[in-house]
This record gives sequence, structure tokens and C-alpha cells, in this order.
Amino acid sequence: MTLRRLAALSLLSVPAALSPLAAQTDASTTIGGYGEVHYTNVSGPGTPGTANLKRFVVYLAHSFDDRLSMRSEVELEDARLEAGSPAGEVAIEQLYLDYRLSPALTLRGGLLLPPVGIINETHEPPTFNGVARPDFDHDVIPTTWREIGVGAAGAVPGLQGFNYRLYLVNGLVASAFSADEGIRGGRQEGQDAVFANPSLTGRLEYGRPGLRIGTSFWYGGSSAQDPALGLGSFDNAVGLFSADARVERAGFALRGVFATIHVADADRINLVYGGSVASRITGGYVEGAYNLLRLAAPHSTQALNAFVRHERYDTQAEVPVGVTRDAALARRYTTVGLTYKPIWNVAVKGDYQLRRNRAGAGEDEVFRLGLGYQF
Amino acid sequence: MPGASKLAASVRRIFGTGVRVDSVRADTSLVLRLTRSDSLLGFARVGNVRGKDQPITWLVAVDPALRLRDIDILVYREPYGGEVAYEAWRRQFRGKGADAPLAVGRDIQGISGATISVNAVTTAVRRTMADFARWRAQGRLR
Repeated sequence: MTLRRLAALSLLSVPAALSPLAAQTDASTTIGGYGEVHYTNVSGPGTPGTANLKRFVVYLAHSFDDRLSMRSEVELEDARLEAGSPAGEVAIEQLYLDYRLSPALTLRGGLLLPPVGIINETHEPPTFNGVARPDFDHDVIPTTWREIGVGAAGAVPGLQGFNYRLYLVNGLVASAFSADEGIRGGRQEGQDAVFANPSLTGRLEYGRPGLRIGTSFWYGGSSAQDPALGLGSFDNAVGLFSADARVERAGFALRGVFATIHVADADRINLVYGGSVASRITGGYVEGAYNLLRLAAPHSTQALNAFVRHERYDTQAEVPVGVTRDAALARRYTTVGLTYKPIWNVAVKGDYQLRRNRAGAGEDEVFRLGLGYQF
Repeated sequence: MPGASKLAASVRRIFGTGVRVDSVRADTSLVLRLTRSDSLLGFARVGNVRGKDQPITWLVAVDPALRLRDIDILVYREPYGGEVAYEAWRRQFRGKGADAPLAVGRDIQGISGATISVNAVTTAVRRTMADFARWRAQGRLR
């Protein structure tokens, strides 16, 4: 029986069984989201424990038809927004249209997440260990990093397991870079973003059961046509390179990320704005975890992951002329903890973190508890 | 309808050529009954499960003893997480019976960065296996 006859026979005899294949001809709207509540207690006097509704996030997506869809993410931090209070933030973290031409190419445009590292694109609480996101993913890779632009995403044709994302987005703004948080202040986050420095960002990754490795980059100017810094598109170029890996086997999970960022002409930024911005920011972390329930309750579908993570990064790895390195910015953070997951998308977390640095100044410890979910 | 050829290609890949496809009604579902020259090859079911925000169209195929022959992803609509469609992940299901836990992290290995599609498809397969077992006990799958 030829394939066409089989297809015709299938069509005649089992029309209802085929209706799932036509699922996308009707428009549909989906809602999802995640949230997390934290308890944080920093060691030392004068820092009582605090509890905070860290994030409430809603995903809203709509499929117009088989190819065209909208995806969005809106976030509320710290439970409430009130004039005059420093806490609280409401922000749109993603908003874009996707047009799927093929498995190899989806065109995308809107407020996008630069696909750098692991946490920037995958930050739902049950997907990482530790109550708070790694500090590396705050001070080095400025999560949650989102900028406006256009680009493409999909599976690399012919290379099974490889995915890519490549976007052209607005640049960072150098005037807001800092010594302790690197490029983080320079994010424009979709609000009146200056497009003087179009920047390219992308990722190539490979995934199969038990392994995901990826490499990402960002390149673009950051002078934002500030006449004191430079009017060229690539002035104060920020070049970021990162690599990451996730390995899972027999209840063990290993995760590692590395990133290095170069800021061109950082001396000029400091001259104009008086800061101590570095010319190079470098660091990363390694984390190992083991699901204790594999030993204690081998038939369980729940997980109790014991983990340890060591972060080592320096937001002043190299400094331009005129800046003295602050050794306290060379951080060494070690976190140990437990993540209990009764189901795969809910996490109850606890951890203890030692915050050390090369100067030995202002060191402390933090104890945290947290609840998180995603759906 | 574009889907018909994907379904036909999947059936041919799993069961070979010259397959006759009939349908059996069970509860409100339609199950495909696959035979060749009057001998029973197995059963298959097509359905949707939601991934992150798009339906993933899957096919579950079992042999006459209701052991898994294979699963297939007929349509994957999201730009990533599509690793569930690859042989390397799907082959874990082959040969498993109704007694298998079919649980991510136990007998089914996940894929980092594709946890939503991995869990969604695994749940769909597990439920389908339970449905097949129940329908057989009711005498519907002969």
C-alpha cells in the first residue's frame, strides 16, 4: 500500500484521530507563570531576617494561527508598588511576536531576552538550586536582561540537537555602568531605549538526554551617542563571551557557567562619569547536586537535591588607567543547600551562603528559605 | 490535510509498509487498530499535550500485548524544547509495559532546558498507557 493510499485511508477511516494535528488552526490563549517567596537572614547585628514576596510573574501567550504567536512575561517584585518606596517593581520582561517559518527558523521581534548564560532565559524557581539566583547572574550576566530587537530562533538544520538564537537589539548605556555591578546598570529594558548602538547577541546550544552545553555572545557599542563618549555606533564596545554546561546522570546534576566581558575605552567612561568601571569583568560558577531520594526512596518521583555551588567572579578583573582595583569586588561565594521538589514544577528551598572576597572586607553569611512554583 | 501524511509516515516507520489502519472507539477517544493481512500489529493513539504555550501533537504506538513499540512527536510547534522529538530521547520508551513508572527522573531521563516538553510528553504517554490497559480490561482492544 503506497504512502498516499495509507494517508487517504487514514483520512477516511479516522478523521477524529487527526484533529489534534489540526489543533493550531484555531486561535488559543494560554496563561502560565511562576512565583517565589523568600526568607533571608544575613549574619551580623542589625540585620534581622526578612520575608519577601520576591516575584509574581505571569506568562500570557496567544497563538493567532499555526505559525504566528505572541508571548509575554510580566513581573511584579516585592509584592507591591508604592510611590516613594524603593522596593517593588512592575515590569514587562518579555513581549514578542513569533512567526514560525519552519523548525529551523522562527522570526521574532519585540522585547527579547539576550540568550546569554543559563538563568537569563531559564529562571523559573524550580529550575535552579538555591533560594536566590546566583549573584554571578546579577553582577556579571545582568539577569533578567531584556532589550528590544528582532531576530531568529530555531533548530540548526542538519545538526540534530543543536538550537540557536540570534538577535539584533538596542545597546547598553555606558554612563550607567558601575564597578560593583559591571554592565547591569546599562540595560535599557524596553523603556525609551536609545538605538544608537545596535548590538548583536546570540547563542548556540546542544541538548540531548543528560547534557546541555551552550555558548553565547553579545557585541555592541554603549556610548549611546553621548558626545563626551563618542558618536560612533561601536564606541565603548561591550564584548561578552560565555559558555555553560548542564550534565545529569544517575541522580547527579552538574552545572557550570563562565563569562568574560570586555568594555572598550572604560577609562573614558570613568573620566566623564567619575566611576571606576572595569575594562574586563570575568567569572563563573560550578555547582554539583545529588538527589538524596535516590538512596532513601528509590521508587519516589519526588526529589530532594543536596547541592553545593562555588561562585568566583571579579567585576574589576582588569581596570583601565586611573582606577585602583577594589579587592572586595573579587567575590568568592559558596552556597550549600537543599531543594525539595514534590513535583517537578514546585520547589521548597533552603540554603546557607558564605560571602567572601579577596579583600576579606565586609564578609558575611546568609541563610535563606524559599518557596517557588511554575506552571 | 498536512497532518495525515505525518501520521502515515509515523505509522510506516513504526509498523512497516502494507499496514491497514482501522479505528476503534473507546470512551470518547479514537484508537487506531493496525493490522497486516489480518494479523494484529498493535494500536496507536494521537493526542495533544500543552508544552510551554503550544500543543505538542504526539503518537503512542503499542504492540498487541500493549507494550510500547515507540512514541513519535508528529508536530512540535515551539522554537525550542524540540529535543523530545529526537530518537535519543524517544527510544527510552520502547519496550516498556503498563507496569513501568514512566516518570521523569526515574526510568525516563530528562533534558536540561526542555523540562516542560519532557514532562508534558512523558505524562501524556503514561496516561495513554493507563487508558490502553483500562480499555483492554473492558474488552475494547482486541
